[in-house]
Amino acid sequence: MASLGSQSNPAVTSTLSAAAQLPGAVRGSFKSPNISWPKTLRLQGKEGLIFIAGVILLWQFISSFSHFSGKYLFPSPLLTAQTLWASLPELLIGTVYSFLILLPSLALAISLGVVWGLIVGTTPALNRMFSPFARFASPVPPTIYIPYAIALLPTFHTAAGFVVFIGVFWPVFLNTANGAGGLPQHYRDNARILGLAKVEYLRRVVFPATLPQIFSGISVGLVFAFIMLTVAELFGASKGLGRFVQLYADYADYPRMVAGILYTGVVVWISMEVLERIKKRALFWLR
Amino acid sequence: MSAAPVSHSDSHRSMSGIDVSALQFAYEGIPILSDIDLHVAEGEFLCLLGPSGCGKTTLLRLLAGLDLPAAGTISYNGSQIQGPSLERGVVFQNYSLFPWFTLAENIELALSKSHPQHDANWRQAHAQDYLARVGLGDSAGQYPSLLSGGMQQRGAIARALALGSPVLLMDEPFGALDPINRAKLQDLLLELWASPRKTVVFVTHDVEEALYLADRVVVLGSSPGRIIQEIAVPFERPRSRRLFSSREFIELSERIGQLFREDVLQRIEADSQLASVKE
Repeated sequence: MASLGSQSNPAVTSTLSAAAQLPGAVRGSFKSPNISWPKTLRLQGKEGLIFIAGVILLWQFISSFSHFSGKYLFPSPLLTAQTLWASLPELLIGTVYSFLILLPSLALAISLGVVWGLIVGTTPALNRMFSPFARFASPVPPTIYIPYAIALLPTFHTAAGFVVFIGVFWPVFLNTANGAGGLPQHYRDNARILGLAKVEYLRRVVFPATLPQIFSGISVGLVFAFIMLTVAELFGASKGLGRFVQLYADYADYPRMVAGILYTGVVVWISMEVLERIKKRALFWLR
Repeated sequence: MSAAPVSHSDSHRSMSGIDVSALQFAYEGIPILSDIDLHVAEGEFLCLLGPSGCGKTTLLRLLAGLDLPAAGTISYNGSQIQGPSLERGVVFQNYSLFPWFTLAENIELALSKSHPQHDANWRQAHAQDYLARVGLGDSAGQYPSLLSGGMQQRGAIARALALGSPVLLMDEPFGALDPINRAKLQDLLLELWASPRKTVVFVTHDVEEALYLADRVVVLGSSPGRIIQEIAVPFERPRSRRLFSSREFIELSERIGQLFREDVLQRIEADSQLASVKE
């Protein structure tokens, strides 16, 4: 279905461009099909690995040719790897703590964002009522809520959960509402021909048709979730990934700190890959 | 030859069938349809024939209740059309099925609306029946995007049948198909139309297709869309494609072709007059 294909492309590009503005989101942004290198320079699919090897080499170079303080601040790749291995049990426990905050908030923010987005996107009166507020509230950087959330809510767990929720809710809601509002007319026509009731229409037509935009919102939201979580943990967690990094920075244990950063990067990367898999499976019909 | 033009004013009027009177429709201030008067009898196969841009798709949408007229009325069996209804099934050119459902699930969704009293097992069994009737018995579990255009349109017809509508509205349903598939689907449609007998309004810009399928052809002109002639098709059923080389068929299609050419000519002259007035 040609009209469907053309519908999906803007959504995909908007994911990438939206994600590209965020730190930590590098998926796919190194693919540059428009640049054609001379044949001798063409390295089929190995460019990425070579670049990473270059970064490690530079890192090794900086740490071994620095003076004492430089060596201290730039632990060598090997030392970092050893530290990472040694800290793995502690990091894994931290991951569990972090995910105990992350996952419930993520689930709640995605379900509320999707349901409310579908309803607002398909109900013009609600849209007129809610979108001025959304335009004002959604661009507020969610990190700004952290001190207040910590002061306001009874435990660190709920405070961090709240700010993760805010960070995920807006991108999911906005993308869903946009997608549902711009539903291609032929889907609406078919639903009307079949005489679908509102709930059926939302569940069986608008929701699947909006899935590409919903996934765009979720992938932006997931990156936000990790940002919110780790920043919140810098403030006042007892355990967790952000806490790990903050703790060893306080002790000036830079090998552990760098290991923590690397480990966090891997966790976020794996999470994004998992999301990508889910998305591919859910959007199987989009060809 | 009994193919004399039928003036719409003396066509038979009754409570049954579709009645369109003094219909006007405009989109963003531009008149699309003007002064449409039309009666479609119960059980009739009617083709709306016209060049692109004559508003034939718009007229079909109005008959479906997807759009509402600016002035005039459309009624079915005496009651005014105010929105879509299961009484009038629609087959679009190429997007009648939801791509996230399998063929069977698409049909089951239609059955759940037309037969709300039955359970999922009943729907599954009957979806299979409807698919078999359009030659898709082996493809029930397939997703539309993996099917050819012809198979997608077969599925769309099966869905319209599953709605159980006595009226079938079809918007260039075979327009995107290759000649062989097109011919096969035309014959399938005629077969399905015959029993149980349905009323069909079929939009096309293909003169041959219209004359092969229809009892009556309504020729539309453009700018704004209006009826320029109604032609009762004189050929007996069942028709064969050998008809296309008969003298009567060629003369009739030549006459319709002449109507199209005159319409285009009028449009060009009107445009150039308008241009000279502006200067």
